[in-house]
Amino acid sequence: MVVRRGGLPAVGRYVVLSAVLAGMLFPFVWMLRVSLLPTGSIAAENLLSSTFTLTNFLDLFAQTNMGIYLINSLATGIITTLGNILFCFTVAYTLARYRTITNRLLFVSVIVILMIPAHIVIIPLYILCVKGGMYDNYWALILPWLVNPIGIFLVKQYIETIPTSMEEAARIDGAGELTILFRVMMPMCKPALAVLAIQVFFTHWNSFLFPYILTQSESVRTLPVGLAMFQGHQAIDWQHLMAGSTIAVVPVLIVFVILQRRIVSGITAGAIKQ
Amino acid sequence: MPNRKLVSFLYGLPWLLTFVIFWAFPLLYSFVIGFTDYRLLQRGYSWVGWGNYVALFHDPAFLSALKNTFIFVIGTIPATTVISLLLALMVNRRFRGRGLFRAGYFVPSITSMVVVALVFTHLFSRGGYVAMLAQMVGLTPPANGFLYDSGTALASIMAMDVWMAVGYYMLIFLAGLKSIPDELYEAAEINGASSLRQFVSITLPLLKPVTLFIIVINSIKSFQVFTEIFVMTRGKFDTSSAVYFVYEKGLTTRYDFGYASAAAYLLFVIIGLLSLAQFALFRQRKKLSW
Repeated sequence: MVVRRGGLPAVGRYVVLSAVLAGMLFPFVWMLRVSLLPTGSIAAENLLSSTFTLTNFLDLFAQTNMGIYLINSLATGIITTLGNILFCFTVAYTLARYRTITNRLLFVSVIVILMIPAHIVIIPLYILCVKGGMYDNYWALILPWLVNPIGIFLVKQYIETIPTSMEEAARIDGAGELTILFRVMMPMCKPALAVLAIQVFFTHWNSFLFPYILTQSESVRTLPVGLAMFQGHQAIDWQHLMAGSTIAVVPVLIVFVILQRRIVSGITAGAIKQ
Repeated sequence: MPNRKLVSFLYGLPWLLTFVIFWAFPLLYSFVIGFTDYRLLQRGYSWVGWGNYVALFHDPAFLSALKNTFIFVIGTIPATTVISLLLALMVNRRFRGRGLFRAGYFVPSITSMVVVALVFTHLFSRGGYVAMLAQMVGLTPPANGFLYDSGTALASIMAMDVWMAVGYYMLIFLAGLKSIPDELYEAAEINGASSLRQFVSITLPLLKPVTLFIIVINSIKSFQVFTEIFVMTRGKFDTSSAVYFVYEKGLTTRYDFGYASAAAYLLFVIIGLLSLAQFALFRQRKKLSW
């Protein structure tokens, strides 16, 4: 006899699961459909019509600063991600391998900041950026975010699972510290660094509050900030707003579909890896 | 051989600099200006002692923002936790299409909050899909849409947040479920325990640490709610939150840095207590090495 442990019978299960799935995806389907609709009403009958157009997307690039937002988001996102790969790695390495007093203190600072809500520093960070000449330029979007405590923690945990014998062998062979760091250890940390890279890039790509309060000019606005600012404009209708939203969402979805496993393992690694 | 101590220090330098410049200094700085009347474009400032803190507790805008933040946290967290656990249980066992459902439920939590908030602004608007849905089940939606009504605006934003977050916490619950040894269920089955009994006596108790973890990280996150409020209501219709209040006081019109910093610090204390709880949980489970 096959014992079924709890749960709904197969058909019922699929009905419930599919209904939830529809609820989860409907807003995105709506977004995509509206983005492809010509100017005019976005009432239900038009949504179901067979008219599709790409003009909204073309308009955004031709008549608004969407292209600038997109480049800003991509460029600062990539730089921030590269910075985190490099710096979270070197910091994690020293914390994992050199048990000096300064490193112990440094690790305490990582743990403390890990648990401090970033949003409470918006006022002093704003003042700091204004006084330090970082306000309203790329530095504000990059410099404070080049290394992050969650990333350090994640990579450190990973390095600690790697036996020290590899480094010792390299050291006996006469390898210098930098060779050991970048030729021996870094390739071995690839899985953790990949998870880190995805998390940092997604966070940066989606982030709104800090890019918003630390910039002012159109030329340094990122995609989420640009979109949120579109909203108030009378000239921008829902079709264009949703076209912009689609541009912000689709790259994330593509990366997610390709790298699903890594993303999921990253989330659970932060939470409960035993 | 180079000085190993120096090398180890240099490797850690990027974080040391970031920590001092972008974390420790701002935290100290805002603590200090919280006791002043410092404002933008104002020459000098004077010490006001606990004045800002006293004023905050007499400021209806702050009290209402604090109240809304608590409503937000207390309202969304049980809903998010229960729904994400139910989803995890439904997609835990192997069946055809499981991966698709898991991925689909997770999608909202990787999208930009700004985009989600924009889409839901329309869904919640007058004549939008949520209003249509409400009418279908015999309810009367607010005349100007859900976000233009003090009675429904905050609740609508909360519902959206639950919708957005459940997939993420579902994944964490799934990892928790995976860590429960199969033998426990096998033993229970041999002893003839019903599936409900197995759930109550095995699954729930063993998920307790994960559940606590989820509740704590989710409340720390929820106490900082900002972006959705900024995009959807700009704090109007009784939706202002603590962080929104800090932003509004400190970085718009008056740029009241001192006052806003004091408000931020109060929030910091509240979240700090939660963080300590999180830390205690963390240590207990991971045995952090210092």
